[in-house]
Amino acid sequence: MTCEQHLVWIQEAVDGTIGSIRRAELDAHLAGCAACRALLDDLQRIHDAAADLPAIAPPDRAWLQIAGRLRLEGRISADAVAARPARRPYAAWLAIAAALVIAAGSAVMLVVPRNTPPSQAPAAAAAASTAGATPEVASVEAVNAVEAAQAQFEKAIADLEKVAKANQQALDPNTSATIEKNLGILDQAIADNRAAVKSEPASVAARETLFDALRQKVSLLQDTISLINEMRKGNNAAAAQLVNKS
Amino acid sequence: MATSKATVHPSAGAAAAASRSAEQALVDRCRRGELGAFEELYRAHSGRLFSLAVRMLGNPSDAEDQLQEIFLSAHRKLESFRGESALGTWLYRLAMNQLLDHVRSRAARTGQLTDGLDDATVLADAGGHKLAERAIDRIDLERALAELPEGCRAAFVLHDVEGLEHKEVSEVLGIAEGTSKSQVHKARLRLRALLSKRSPYDV
Repeated sequence: MTCEQHLVWIQEAVDGTIGSIRRAELDAHLAGCAACRALLDDLQRIHDAAADLPAIAPPDRAWLQIAGRLRLEGRISADAVAARPARRPYAAWLAIAAALVIAAGSAVMLVVPRNTPPSQAPAAAAAASTAGATPEVASVEAVNAVEAAQAQFEKAIADLEKVAKANQQALDPNTSATIEKNLGILDQAIADNRAAVKSEPASVAARETLFDALRQKVSLLQDTISLINEMRKGNNAAAAQLVNKS
Repeated sequence: MATSKATVHPSAGAAAAASRSAEQALVDRCRRGELGAFEELYRAHSGRLFSLAVRMLGNPSDAEDQLQEIFLSAHRKLESFRGESALGTWLYRLAMNQLLDHVRSRAARTGQLTDGLDDATVLADAGGHKLAERAIDRIDLERALAELPEGCRAAFVLHDVEGLEHKEVSEVLGIAEGTSKSQVHKARLRLRALLSKRSPYDV
């Protein structure tokens, strides 16, 4: 048999589907044919390298956009959404938002702490204290907490945007354009989810998704400012890490 | 953005069969309009589908747009999911149709022809082109993948990257099992030719 005729067997060997008799015949051919040995070795390495390619996670905002569009298309049942348990009490969102305002304040010095744990925020204590309230009182408090948290997020975003815009010239135009595009996508998701909250005030999931979108915008702005910091320090490795992360 | 690759693919045997009823329950909740159920479905499958989209389209921005279309289309078509194949396979099929349509319409818009691989080219690729002894660089491999014609790229990504069997690849792509084998085999030979041309200092 010629090398050409052994090609299929070489491929089956890489697939792991070659039978034992064919494998023995192939081995006999390989013993005397350096070109086919090299081919098998290369194809096996390509197969193994492909199998080792990592999965790539989609950005968090992808889900927000999908959820926003499903709501706009009226494909989400209000009952089913309302029945979904809250993943996070509203007061805890308020706590996170409050912590972000502090973070946004310190961003003026272009130093932004990330991932402030909600448990360290003082408002978390307030959340615990409402546990024994009557349902009516708790409901009013929940609405107030949602509104307050939204306001806090918006303040944090406004502060961070001011800092990011004032220092944007430190970024190269391509990076800057990508950030602008991503901010635009998040703004659209926030607008969609805000409309959903307005049309379904009782929907727990609608509020959760709105908060997720707001939190992601804060996070993107924080990353932008961190990137500006690293570029100014000339720390290209850290800057590249931030770009890859986002 | 990289995460660890899922180790369970749509035909992981008995475990997959046992999870069918759980999948069906999740699909039923999605059909009732439960956003939480659809988010669960999204979290379980979006990583694999996004990886597939990035590798089929060659850029994360297009892949993100198409991922959105894939899941919106999945939500609309869940009514037609009968549980005859695993949910993962059904989603792969839906995703691949969407991605191949997108690749073809993009090629038509930009006037880029996606050439097929004729047997003469493939046999030429089988000779010579020994790869360097160094390990195959991940970025080089991703770049070479993007240069493959879409048919054999799709089969290669599903088989060698995602770990599907040829039978599953044939179900996802709606082709014969033998065609899946020949497409994957052609892809490997073409990748060998492409990778052997790259110097370690290529940018």
